[in-house]
Amino acid sequence: MKLTEAPFDLPLRIAAVQGGEGVRRRLLCLGFHQGDRIVVVSSGILKGPLLVRNLTADVTIALGRGVALKILVEADHA
Amino acid sequence: MRSDPRPPSVVFIGQPNCGKSTLFNAIAGPKAEVSNFPGTTTKHTHSDVKVGGRTLSVIDLPGTYSLVPFDPAEKVAYGHLFGEKPDLIVNVLDASTLSRGLELTLELVEMRRPMIVALNMVDLAEKKGLEIDPSRLERSLGVPVVTTIASHGRGIKELLDKAFDVLDRGWTVPRHGWSADVQAKLDELTRLLPADLCAGMDDIFAAVKLVETGHLACDGLLTELEPAFKADLDRIRAELEAIRGVPAYEVISAERHHLALKISEDAGRLRHGARLTWDMKVDDVIMHPVFGYLFMAAIFTLFFLIIFKVGSPLETLLLKPLGALKIWLAARLGSGLGFYLADGLLQGVGGGIAIVLPYFIPLLLLMAFLEDVGYLARAGYLLDTFMHRIGLHGKSVSPFILGFGCNVPAVVATRILESRRDRIITSLLIPFIPCSARTTIILALVAFYLGPFWALGFYVINMAVVAILGWALSRLVKAESPGLILEIPSLKVPSLLNIARKTRLQLKDFVGFAWPLLIAGSLVLSLVQYFGADRIINLVLSPLVAGGLGLPKDLGVTLVFGFLRKELSLIMMLQALGVDYKNLLSVISREQIMTFTIFVNFFIPCLSTFAILWREIGRRYAFLSVALSVGVALALSHLARLIF
Repeated sequence: MKLTEAPFDLPLRIAAVQGGEGVRRRLLCLGFHQGDRIVVVSSGILKGPLLVRNLTADVTIALGRGVALKILVEADHA
Repeated sequence: MRSDPRPPSVVFIGQPNCGKSTLFNAIAGPKAEVSNFPGTTTKHTHSDVKVGGRTLSVIDLPGTYSLVPFDPAEKVAYGHLFGEKPDLIVNVLDASTLSRGLELTLELVEMRRPMIVALNMVDLAEKKGLEIDPSRLERSLGVPVVTTIASHGRGIKELLDKAFDVLDRGWTVPRHGWSADVQAKLDELTRLLPADLCAGMDDIFAAVKLVETGHLACDGLLTELEPAFKADLDRIRAELEAIRGVPAYEVISAERHHLALKISEDAGRLRHGARLTWDMKVDDVIMHPVFGYLFMAAIFTLFFLIIFKVGSPLETLLLKPLGALKIWLAARLGSGLGFYLADGLLQGVGGGIAIVLPYFIPLLLLMAFLEDVGYLARAGYLLDTFMHRIGLHGKSVSPFILGFGCNVPAVVATRILESRRDRIITSLLIPFIPCSARTTIILALVAFYLGPFWALGFYVINMAVVAILGWALSRLVKAESPGLILEIPSLKVPSLLNIARKTRLQLKDFVGFAWPLLIAGSLVLSLVQYFGADRIINLVLSPLVAGGLGLPKDLGVTLVFGFLRKELSLIMMLQALGVDYKNLLSVISREQIMTFTIFVNFFIPCLSTFAILWREIGRRYAFLSVALSVGVALALSHLARLIF
């Protein structure tokens, strides 16, 4: 599923990033890699950005909806 | 080494928010002239520090996530490490986000130049339940590791001792491992490497950089100089991509990521599971979809209250001696050219001291405080939704807030935005944010003569104008914006030293750039008055001023003043009309006051802002900004006339 469709507080795994080089490189820099465990903590009002916590790297970032649409995740059952 | 006349250079590098500036301050002292605004440093500053009888030339690089020259800050770090070849690299590593920080550390290790890891903020990591064994980390990385808590000054001496030790005795940094398939490709590339292409570099490091930087570094140059090698490079990149199914730069990055995870798992021990720490509880409230906005509204209301409570008495206090000085000058110099020039100089210097600084310095201090605590990033997250409506995103929030103090540093601050499109739109909107000089006019004219609610309404309309313009501009400037990707650093106890340092850096743009222009503008105005050119200007402008705006034609010259110095418009208005402040209503109506304020507020960015726009986003957009302002000012003041 797309990151924007993921429920809050559910452990997820990054399956793929579909964005262009700009988005991919920035996410890599911030420590977000394919296979990482993440969780959507919250979101801003009126379709605001998502607050995403990377459990692997222990970092939190805010992602605009446009960026979040390009990140595919799957539920992490581990 | 001691006989070398040039002191050894030590460069500090680390990811944003790793406590690098605090550590640097602890070593170089608060007086060191350094630049650290994320992404804005175009050159790095050396400062010589005497430690234990020896001199070190320390260099602070802007916080950087990686060594790929992707955003402006990274370009600085990259350029420095490759161009200047420092004698020692000190990599500041945030222990509380160990595995991510290690990705940069591994990149540095690949250079195989003398380096030390300063494992900083170990106290924060311990609070999170992470215990790190520095000796295990040292063994995995093959470089010395020193634990520090920069905010308490702990570990500084050990770090310096280690630095001298490495400088004196040298240290050979071993290579870190790669997966077998990636290693094979890198080895193949090193064999193909033209002899003098990457002279002086470790060859695996050179191969890695060639693969991962791609078009960001030397691809274009290679195509021209070494077309055969470039073809091999492209082939190897394609082979790497085929192995892992992701772009070549991502293959390299993933390698480091996995190694970093392995190292951090080996060196770190999680004492307890995820526990709610105080900052997470606070975050739940201040980033809450409802309470978060209420909290933010309260913070910013308080913010502006403090600024005006501090600024207004300061302004009065500072204006008094300036007024006395002017009278004294008039008595001494008479009314010749000398007096006019001295007065112009006084107005220019004094305007900066008495009108801008009393409001601007408190604003900068509070901004630096909010940034240091980590709140600005959170405000960016909360306001992203609204910024999105006007075609921008959350990162534009802090330049806008700065604009309330002075537009000039605000335009400079847009450099934190990654895309040129966002920089241009934000820079074009900043001149519409009422800076402290314009706020004094709004308060003196609208709040005093029409009432505080009118002034408040004025601000609301002003913000609406910014929103509408932003919406329109984002439809005109068509280019892709990458959208919001913003790190939310964990909340921190603020450091006074950091706040002072940030404030001083921001102030530099005002003092070094805007102020001299302000003084020059004042001198020009004095000359205009001395030679009686104001009458001619009034005559030329009278169709606009009297016909278009319905104001007394004597106010024409104050509009010119508005370009040179916004806040002088008020004083000039009184001079031009020949009345004092209290009797203003005897010569001009309330409606005219409103029209005048609207026009002066919106029309034309002041000279300093115009100059900084020219420097930052180019001549074309600087003139577009002028056209926009004049258009908006004419339209709005006309509208005001119709309504009243």
